[in-house]
Amino acid sequence: MVLLALSIYPLLYSITVSLQQETASGIAWSLTHFKRLATDNFFRTAMVHTFVYAIAALTCEFVLGLALALLSNQQIRGRGVFRASLLVPMMLPTVVVGVVWRLLLNPNFGAINGTLKQLGINTESLTWTASPRLAFLAVIAVDVWQWTPFVFLVLLAGLQAIPQEPYEAALIDGSSRWQTFRHVTLPLLKPAILIVLLLRTMDLLRVFDQIFILTEGGPGFATEMISLYIYRTAFRFFDFGYAAAMSFVLLALTNIVSVVYIRFLQTKEE
Amino acid sequence: MSHGRTRITQTGLLVLALLAALAPVYWMLTISLKIERDQFAYPPKWFSFTPTLQHYYEAFVTRSFAQYLITSAIVAVISTACALVVGTLAAYALTRFRLPYNLDRKLSLWILSTRMFPAIVTAVPLFLMMRDLRLLNTRASLIVVYTAFNLPFVVWMMRGFFAEVPRDLEEAALVDGDSRLGALVRVVLPLVSPGLAATAVFCLIVSWNEFLFALVLTQTDAAMTLPVGIAGRVTQYEIKWGVMSAAGAVAMMPILIFALAMQRYLVRGLSLGAVKG
Repeated sequence: MVLLALSIYPLLYSITVSLQQETASGIAWSLTHFKRLATDNFFRTAMVHTFVYAIAALTCEFVLGLALALLSNQQIRGRGVFRASLLVPMMLPTVVVGVVWRLLLNPNFGAINGTLKQLGINTESLTWTASPRLAFLAVIAVDVWQWTPFVFLVLLAGLQAIPQEPYEAALIDGSSRWQTFRHVTLPLLKPAILIVLLLRTMDLLRVFDQIFILTEGGPGFATEMISLYIYRTAFRFFDFGYAAAMSFVLLALTNIVSVVYIRFLQTKEE
Repeated sequence: MSHGRTRITQTGLLVLALLAALAPVYWMLTISLKIERDQFAYPPKWFSFTPTLQHYYEAFVTRSFAQYLITSAIVAVISTACALVVGTLAAYALTRFRLPYNLDRKLSLWILSTRMFPAIVTAVPLFLMMRDLRLLNTRASLIVVYTAFNLPFVVWMMRGFFAEVPRDLEEAALVDGDSRLGALVRVVLPLVSPGLAATAVFCLIVSWNEFLFALVLTQTDAAMTLPVGIAGRVTQYEIKWGVMSAAGAVAMMPILIFALAMQRYLVRGLSLGAVKG
């Protein structure tokens, strides 16, 4: 009950906030905030950024994670050390992740440009967080760096849960490696894949911390995400009503995405 | 021959992945230990520099990072303890009693959904509520919020662990005249203690790392957590790289120690029990 109160109450509260508007004569109920959403170009841009960011990061993380999982799904020396080290990025406080990457990406003394320069590459144009395009790539790369290990660990656990028999059968049938992967590994790995994609998608859509530290949504508006825009609206411009209205759109979107995933998951289990 | 070569490529790729994962963190550690001239040196000094602890001294003695550290620790420990007590009892009830109208199944789904909730969606109403309650800039506000957000997770995880305990054991205790609570404490809890410990560590990590709520709810030195303190330094114009790295290094140490100790359960926790890796 306490739990119910603590998570339902904020929701109801924010519905009322989003539907109210402060007028000269006090507070009135209106749909102003939602109407404003429809014409707000910044909101639309932030939305597009968030989805592009989520899809790009998710794709990289999944491909890399799967490749690593397949590579290390056999007895190799030092696997324990390997697993333990990969835990490091994903357990770091996101703020520390932001700090780490600001140090690396600094155009003047960051390790990345320094190393590239040593290799004889001209780094003058590589200003990373100061250039809109590179900054967007950088925030994607940071998420890929932090969360590929998670995708890897979940998929590896999934791979290890697959019994040997289907592989032996495939071997007897004379299937190629690709056929075995396509018709044996992938279907059996599907539940793990869906779970990890669901969790990552939800996290990516609500991304805030790393980007707040790394670029604050800038330069200009280049890496602005929905969460950052809501934060700015609420806590820099103190427009709580509009922020609450935007929150609802974000909530509705993540809900739709998660419902789609869960449907997939359930049809697979039956 | 070709087998040997694939083996080498394979090992090479894995080592590369390992380096990519660790080098950035190592770089921050070196920055926290370098004097300023070495920090800005070209070519970048990865190994050869004279270590100094001056940045750690500055961060935790002359600046208020020690205070942020204490706040972070207090908030994380108390909220974890609260969430564990309430969450364990709730989880036990959920696995042992049937709720009417198939409510327990729905409850589980709903618990799961709170976990996926975008934090910013609740940040706005929570801020307004805490403002009305005059709890802004207090540790209490963070403790309440973190307890509330860890609770579903505790219920969810502990439910999984309780479900693995055979009922016969506690029924024996009940027959012997123990109360429900007595049976839980004396018989069931010892059996799930590794799971309980893992769940606790997980809550600690989440509360320790949490940033958005802390940012929104605490703005004064006295109530700020470590992540907010670090972030405040990062976004200023003149950045003290060494101090920031030192604070970052201290912020990540307890987490890494805990995480490595709990390795076995971490994936299970992160995937909400879906993967028992």
